[in-house]
Amino acid sequence: MLAEAQRSGADYAELFVEDTQSSRIEMIDGKVESANYARLCGAGVRVLLGTKSAYAYSADTSERALLETARAAAAALGEAKHAPNEAIFLAQTRHTTPVLLPFDQIGNADRVRVMREGARVMKAASSEVTQALVRYLDQVQRVTIVSTDGVFVSDERPRTRIFLQAVAMKNGEAQTGYDGPGCCRGFEAYRDVIDVERSAQVAADMAVTMLHAPECPAGYLPVVIDGGFGGVIFHEACGHSLEATAVGRNNSVFCGKLNTKIAADCVSAVDDGTFPGEWGSINVDDEGGAPKRNLLIENGILKGYLIDKLGSRRMDMPSTGSSRRQGYTYAPTSRMTNTFICAGTDDEEEMIASMGEGLYAKKMGGGSVNPPTGEFNFTVAEGYWVRNGKIVSPVRGATLIGKGSEVLQKIDRVGKTMWMAPGMCGSLSGTVPTNVGQPRLRVSGITIGGKGGAIE
Amino acid sequence: MTYPEFSKQAMAYAAEQGCAACELFYANGESFEVNANDGEIDRYSVSREAGVSVRVSLGGHEGYAYTEAIGDPERLVDHAMDNALCIDSEDEHPMQTKQAYRAITREDSALKDRSESDRIALAKQLEDLCLKQDPRVKRVVYCSVEYGAGSVVMENSLGLCAEKSSNSSVIYVMPSVQAGEEVQTGFAFRMGGDAADAEGCAKEAVEDALSKLGGSPVDSGCYRVLLKPYAMCDLLSAFASMFSADEAQKGCSLLAGKEGQLIANERVTLWDDPFNPVAPRAFDGEGTPCETKVVIQNGELKTLLHNLKTAKKAGLQSTGNASRRSAASTVGIAPSVFRLECGGATYDALLAELKDGLVISELEGLHAGVDAVSGDFSLKASGFLVENGAVVRPVSNITVAGNFVALLKHVFALGCDLRYSLPHSGCYASPSVLVNELTVAGC
Repeated sequence: MLAEAQRSGADYAELFVEDTQSSRIEMIDGKVESANYARLCGAGVRVLLGTKSAYAYSADTSERALLETARAAAAALGEAKHAPNEAIFLAQTRHTTPVLLPFDQIGNADRVRVMREGARVMKAASSEVTQALVRYLDQVQRVTIVSTDGVFVSDERPRTRIFLQAVAMKNGEAQTGYDGPGCCRGFEAYRDVIDVERSAQVAADMAVTMLHAPECPAGYLPVVIDGGFGGVIFHEACGHSLEATAVGRNNSVFCGKLNTKIAADCVSAVDDGTFPGEWGSINVDDEGGAPKRNLLIENGILKGYLIDKLGSRRMDMPSTGSSRRQGYTYAPTSRMTNTFICAGTDDEEEMIASMGEGLYAKKMGGGSVNPPTGEFNFTVAEGYWVRNGKIVSPVRGATLIGKGSEVLQKIDRVGKTMWMAPGMCGSLSGTVPTNVGQPRLRVSGITIGGKGGAIE
Repeated sequence: MTYPEFSKQAMAYAAEQGCAACELFYANGESFEVNANDGEIDRYSVSREAGVSVRVSLGGHEGYAYTEAIGDPERLVDHAMDNALCIDSEDEHPMQTKQAYRAITREDSALKDRSESDRIALAKQLEDLCLKQDPRVKRVVYCSVEYGAGSVVMENSLGLCAEKSSNSSVIYVMPSVQAGEEVQTGFAFRMGGDAADAEGCAKEAVEDALSKLGGSPVDSGCYRVLLKPYAMCDLLSAFASMFSADEAQKGCSLLAGKEGQLIANERVTLWDDPFNPVAPRAFDGEGTPCETKVVIQNGELKTLLHNLKTAKKAGLQSTGNASRRSAASTVGIAPSVFRLECGGATYDALLAELKDGLVISELEGLHAGVDAVSGDFSLKASGFLVENGAVVRPVSNITVAGNFVALLKHVFALGCDLRYSLPHSGCYASPSVLVNELTVAGC
């Protein structure tokens, strides 16, 4: 198959075979509304010739179909030229994730029991919670990756996540609160790692708090961003611009900035796919490479990028074990895993007490960034207005906008405790699970969008 | 195993296991995508996909299972039955019976009969045209040519039998322009029958990028706003779920129970337009025949969008808006072609009527900055400052915030410049729309 893929002169060929099974259940107010099972099977063949690449995939994994897929990939690079080079030596490595309770050994009743607990806590939290939504996912992705570099690995990747959302309503107004813990473990996660009741309480409290919150005022002011999902700002505004997909094509503000100062002295950042069981962790990357702890920024100095094989050729730098893809329908590319700003030395309370007037963003929502310009926008899912260093009111509807490269320079406090939160990250190679993280930190000035008047 | 064999065995096994009904949804397709970068093929992908979903009705509940390994029908039905057994919801979700469908003539999209090398040449041409358009174009960030073709077969034990096939073509490009230190990007696309129009696409994208150069924020405050068609399409798309009867029945839509009431300015009329040539369809994701209907007529909400489940619950007929984003997903609700009816004004007349305010040409962050339950949005935007009916300068790095339902009430004029946006779980079309007030955060 690899030989067939190299017939038009490719200097690298790679086969990715996937068999993924997943269960999804959705529950509203404690009642299961829908349950779905899906099995995705297929294979993709990628060929490279220098920095040219082509990808072909098929849901049919029969030998005949795989050979056809390999030929389709080869044809994209040009006419058949020569027989491929020397024999390839393959030594198989198998990876698995340690699992105590595999998902194929539990039933829907077990899943539903965990979900009901979350629904019960949300509903019980307040009479203003009018709806409790719980979504559950578990999935095992089994992959085999073979390449002309001699890679022959198989990996088993279990993953589960529970998403809890509370809707609070009053006088025709509705606000939502949510929490969505997840990890790379078996069903034992709900006993050992994920506290569904706590997450449900967080979701309900957030919805009720926001229901009573006035609209956020607009302005350019200091913002304290909490740890955990607050790291989404770094993920979107800087992480994506450090990926080879942006840097290797000169589409990043961080091109050619290695070993130069791009952030305030108090900022160090890392992408590390090796934490056992974390949502963004990987046993092996999607080109068969080993994940690493990649230092991105050290004391404000840019130290590294996230690089896959194609990026490594474009940038003439080694690959960093950062190649990922959603599944066989995507060619892999450079992606993040668990990406975070490292713990600093500042006091978490002091940074609010000394900020004057501004916004404390306790929970960030989603956002997006335009990599060539570095401009980003994020929503603040749970925010509080601060005046004279004191929290005076929750505020809703806030957005933060700015430029990643500028915000990095304006971070003036970094707290002592770093924690992470899971998310789904979409990019060229599909949607992959990633963790974002940071300690609580402060940005000296950022544009806050909102439609509210002054907070009394 | 061939699909017809799979289907026959699955149906027989489901009946044998006591399922009241069984439905199969089979989709297969091929796709082609090529990106050009620096005159070379950059990203190239060809594919063939196929998958089948089974839905069973067992004990009054429905369960789903999907597979791309077409080989073990009994195991798939077992998974679906297992899922049906854990459902608590009392809502009945009937399956469609045998129906007669209107004949649909759908024109082939522009790239259907093009050879692979033609499509590759088109991608390279599109990039080249952008680079030659203006010396300030320094790079092309994305340049893509895509073609896809697929077919769907739906059948069930109640006699439903519906088949359709379609093909689609789209090209899009994002050039990046530079003046001094400032970098801006522009975007344009062409689809369907226009997908070979590389010249028009390149010209529009470069003009879009150049028009943003020199942009800066405006002071925070309330502004009268002229939303250009794509910006309004983005809002329609982001808030389409408000019109879903399913969201309404779950208590997640502010439009619940508002049928027959004024929810928008009387100038607003919104159509669900399934036979629109941009994406015509004879039946929806459950096999229900589609119909053209007015959703908002002169400001009055006439109907929400229904599938068989929500219609049953509400004691109504399905409006033919059952959706299946893919064979792997469960049945939901989505508009077909959601089209805001044009008004009479030209764009220039709208500018004159705006007099002082902002033109918003682009909204960003739509996957995060909107709350379809509350109707609130807060989005990064760019556009132009207008004084005395004339564009004064570009505006960037601002956010606009508002509420979708309030915005519908504040519409006070619509243009005649209807545009269709890139399809995204449904198609959306809008002219330029003048809105009384939106809150803007600048600096």
